[in-house]
Amino acid sequence: MTKKLLHKTSRVYLLFSAVLLIVSAPLFYYITERLYIEETDETLILHKNEFVKYSLPTLKTADIQNWNKYNRNIKIEPFKNSGKDTIFYNSYYDALDAETEPYRELNTSILIDGNPYTYSARINLVETEDLMKSIAILFLVIISLLLIGLFVITKKLSINLWKPFYETLNQIEKFEIDKSNQPKLIETNIEEFNRLNKSIEKLIDKNTSIYHSQREFVENAAHELQTPLAVFQVKIDTLIQNSNFTEEQHKILSSMNDSVSRLNRLNKNLLLLSKMENEIYNEKQTINLNEAIEKQCDFFTEQAKAKNLIIKIEMNEAVAVKSNSVLAEILISNLFLNAIRHNISDGQVLVTLTNHSLIFTNTGPSQTLVIDKLFNRFSKSNPSEQGNGLGLAIIKKIAELNNWKISYSFANNFHSFSVTF
Amino acid sequence: MKLLLIEDEQELARSIISYLRGHSFVCEWAINAKTAIDKISIYDYDCILLDLMLPDSNGFEILKELKRQNKTEGVIIISAKETLETRIEGFNLGADDYLTKPFHLSELLVRIQALIRRKNFKGNNLFAFNEIVIDLLSKTVKVNTKKIDITKKEIDLLLYLIGNENRVLSKSAIAEHLSGDMADMLENYDFVYAHIKNLKNKLKEAGCNDYIKTVYGLGYKWQND
Repeated sequence: MTKKLLHKTSRVYLLFSAVLLIVSAPLFYYITERLYIEETDETLILHKNEFVKYSLPTLKTADIQNWNKYNRNIKIEPFKNSGKDTIFYNSYYDALDAETEPYRELNTSILIDGNPYTYSARINLVETEDLMKSIAILFLVIISLLLIGLFVITKKLSINLWKPFYETLNQIEKFEIDKSNQPKLIETNIEEFNRLNKSIEKLIDKNTSIYHSQREFVENAAHELQTPLAVFQVKIDTLIQNSNFTEEQHKILSSMNDSVSRLNRLNKNLLLLSKMENEIYNEKQTINLNEAIEKQCDFFTEQAKAKNLIIKIEMNEAVAVKSNSVLAEILISNLFLNAIRHNISDGQVLVTLTNHSLIFTNTGPSQTLVIDKLFNRFSKSNPSEQGNGLGLAIIKKIAELNNWKISYSFANNFHSFSVTF
Repeated sequence: MKLLLIEDEQELARSIISYLRGHSFVCEWAINAKTAIDKISIYDYDCILLDLMLPDSNGFEILKELKRQNKTEGVIIISAKETLETRIEGFNLGADDYLTKPFHLSELLVRIQALIRRKNFKGNNLFAFNEIVIDLLSKTVKVNTKKIDITKKEIDLLLYLIGNENRVLSKSAIAEHLSGDMADMLENYDFVYAHIKNLKNKLKEAGCNDYIKTVYGLGYKWQND
């Protein structure tokens, strides 16, 4: 699972704070309690020592009752074998509050007039608990505030820190090698990001220049081929005027003639592809697809006669799209041609035009085509077939230029190409 | 008819000249813009074939020169350059037609003929060949004064065949002529056979001579025996 970079750091901080809080709260409580009990115990011992030093020497057996009457927390009780200075927890019922309250109690043996008694001093722990609670809450609040502050500051800081990175990322995402929108990477004051930006710029520059020279090469090659092709064509036209050829020579001439025609078409299609890449056709207007299809229908119906194909056209309402008109025509004619070329004898071609799609469905070879490279240049499903392998590449390029989607599917022995706009 | 071919590619120029010469054209050749402008200033031509990419100048300069000299020659641009912009610029500068290289010689010839017919139009739109009379405006064909039922495409084919009289026309050349802008799409010329067959039958039914001859393996020929 992928997460955003900032998410990840803040998540670690959050986790750390939660663990710290959970662990530190009981620990803190325990330690404060211990400290307080120790303090209480010391007080108890101090009280006892004071008693032994100042009160005990003058105390008589007869005073015990009075002592007990006026001292609530230090009592002299009949001897119970409690040993020396035993401190323990105890609870007493408090009639005032009507509840049992916890106490810390110290018992020790004393001698009054030679008789053994038990000295019992106690301290109420209720106040302690309240105090401890207050301290713990205060502590927790401070810790929480600290953590939240830390968390917010780091988050703000990392957002600022990573900002150039996100800007670079945005720029790269928008970049397309075949469009002329070079990303502008902003200079930052962080060395690593500057390094990143520089390497990306270098990479993009290099790739763009390679892409441009490739594109130029294709265009120039296609252009330079025009003239020799024209000479070739004209020479064949001249040659076939000669009337005394043998049958063998006729065959050779005929095949040369076919080849030069094929070469012409190939070259024209290559030129078209490179022209599209050079954004020559970026002038768009609203086009009525119904008219565009009808305009070409006659021509292709004629072409379909050789295979005795049935062409059916289904379109109801008028469909208008934004596109370059030349390219829209080429798209339709290429789809038509594709459906006719790869068809079987007595087959069918169905053209369906709806508000958002144009679908050409045709009969043909009974297995599905390999989709991976279908729309690549010069990828042919059957190498022996006619056609130059550029038709679908041109269709795809035109779709791309108009932000349309082209897809292929095969069902019930029907191949279908659909353009979604 | 006098033509001026302005073309720097020698092999291409020679073939064009030899093909046109057989059709009662006198064809002069200028290999660069300078020679072309010299010739234009001195002589009048019926038609000028102009290549746009010349060694010493741009073909458009010649069009401008023609305009400057108030010359009314018909101009057909023959160029390897083909974008909508160059086409439009060519037409704006006064060119009459635009043919992209590579082309068939037969196509060039009918384009020249059509251009000259348009230029020399004197209220008469009839084109005759022996017993066949074609009315170019109303798109009708008469054989021995009897009107025959014929489609526009068949008239186009008929004009193309007659225009290239006694020349062998390859199926690809005919197909490209008939399909115009769609020519780049074709690789199956079977429809040419169907059109030729229909035209042949219609002419035959009307009592016309059988001028259309099949040249084995290559194509067809309009032969005036």
